[in-house]
Amino acid sequence: MLSVENLHVRYGNIEALHGVSFTLERGEIVTLIGANGAGKTTTLHSIMRLPPPEAPRVTQGDIRFEGASILGVEPHDVVRRLGIGLVPEGRRIFGNLTVQENLTLATYARKDDSAAVQQDLGRVFELFPRLKERQRQLADSLSGGEQQMLAVGRALMSRCEVILLDEPSMGLAPLLMFDMFRTLKHLNEEGLTILVVEQNAKVALDFAHRGYVMDTGAIVAEGTSAELRADPSVKKAYLGG
Amino acid sequence: MIESLFQNILNALQWGSFYSLIALGYCLVYGVLLLINFAHGDIFMVGAYISFFVVTFLLGNFGLIPGLPHWAVLALAVPLVMILTAGVGVTLERIAYRPLRRKGAHRLYVVITALMCGLILENGNLALLGASRRNFPALVDETVITVGGVNMTVLKLAVIVVAVLSFLFLRKVVVKTKIGMAMRAISYDKFAVPLMGIPVDTVIVFTFVLGSGFAGLAGLLFAMTYPVLDPYMGAMIGWKAFIAAVVGGIGSIRGAFAGGFLLGFVEIMVVAFFPSTFRDLIAFTILLLILWRKPTGLFGVARRTKI
Repeated sequence: MLSVENLHVRYGNIEALHGVSFTLERGEIVTLIGANGAGKTTTLHSIMRLPPPEAPRVTQGDIRFEGASILGVEPHDVVRRLGIGLVPEGRRIFGNLTVQENLTLATYARKDDSAAVQQDLGRVFELFPRLKERQRQLADSLSGGEQQMLAVGRALMSRCEVILLDEPSMGLAPLLMFDMFRTLKHLNEEGLTILVVEQNAKVALDFAHRGYVMDTGAIVAEGTSAELRADPSVKKAYLGG
Repeated sequence: MIESLFQNILNALQWGSFYSLIALGYCLVYGVLLLINFAHGDIFMVGAYISFFVVTFLLGNFGLIPGLPHWAVLALAVPLVMILTAGVGVTLERIAYRPLRRKGAHRLYVVITALMCGLILENGNLALLGASRRNFPALVDETVITVGGVNMTVLKLAVIVVAVLSFLFLRKVVVKTKIGMAMRAISYDKFAVPLMGIPVDTVIVFTFVLGSGFAGLAGLLFAMTYPVLDPYMGAMIGWKAFIAAVVGGIGSIRGAFAGGFLLGFVEIMVVAFFPSTFRDLIAFTILLLILWRKPTGLFGVARRTKI
């Protein structure tokens, strides 16, 4: 479905990714794990085609979606035409808008009728009842966990088929984190394809079907979650021995 | 005495209306881009000149078309002037601000660019049309109506009504519509907006259309009220409208509107009680005191960010 092929990208004179390749098939949960600065976020931003300075310049390689290169696609079209959504690191919800406005905004580009939008809104509220309770509040007033729910809810409202999650566990209490991953698993079972980037390798490998390990701008290991968990070098570097 | 008070209030409302209409444009662009568009006062000036040419053309004074009746000229001039002035604003955005934004330039450079754009508009106008002032043709009946000792004209009242309606319209757009939500979202976090499937540039262009369109409307009304145009007419009123927007709380539609009227009131009332040469001195001292008490302006809130 999505394939990243020998991707090289640069920030100015510094090469941040040196030939990253991986694939994501429909219905999968795949994780990219690795330490801070390994290039995980850069990879996600490159897929979303975000403009500089958020995303660096692709100098070599390709990103393909359903076989076609998406390097020329504008970021908003990555979302509305290709149906790839990003839940960014730090969530980046719009704090000056209400919860409901945040969710409505994600339907900006949708051409279908308001009944369908209402139905999706109902579904998001069903998944995250807390958001329903707080729908009229400014998103700024939400707790970290609720903001994460809102960020995922937003991606669902834009009818994404593939969702890229950047450090979804960051800043969440363990209980909330497990709740979040349970909900995401449920969404995956309903057909959502997920690519998740995590520093918390243990949680990520428990959640994902397959994984790739990144280190300083390159993929250094790959395999099913079970394989990676058993890999001695992965164990040593990322799973605490 | 009481008549003169009402007279001053009416004058202040009218004078404040111009500040408000221009301040709304500053506010919209600032609200979305955090850019103080210092060319905005000059866009107002260009709007007044566009009004001059559109009205002269429609009256048949260029001899290109047979003249239309005055009501038809006015009915056509309003949308035409707004569209054409919006075009000027959008052009500035396209050729001056967008390239800088694409390169990720610091906001300071964009503000300097805005200042330069204003100077280019002023001096471009001077080079193109010469230094001689233009007299705006009379369009509406300027008979003075006196109600209870207070003098007014239809135009004076119309200016106030238009300013209020423009404010209500812009507020509705920003608060209720999806594109208004997108405008507010951009001001909060430009990064996350494309992730909602929203083309950021389209929203920014729309913002310039609104701001410049209403500056054009202000230009038309101003030219009708004070029918002498010169290339520098936008500079001072633009600065003052910007100050009005800051005092109101820049970024807040309500603040820009209130700030414009506040400045109008302060100026008119100062002149009512002091020699008119003191006007700007006292007016701006008062505004300074307001900012001193409330640095974010009347309706502004300090920006909070949550990580």
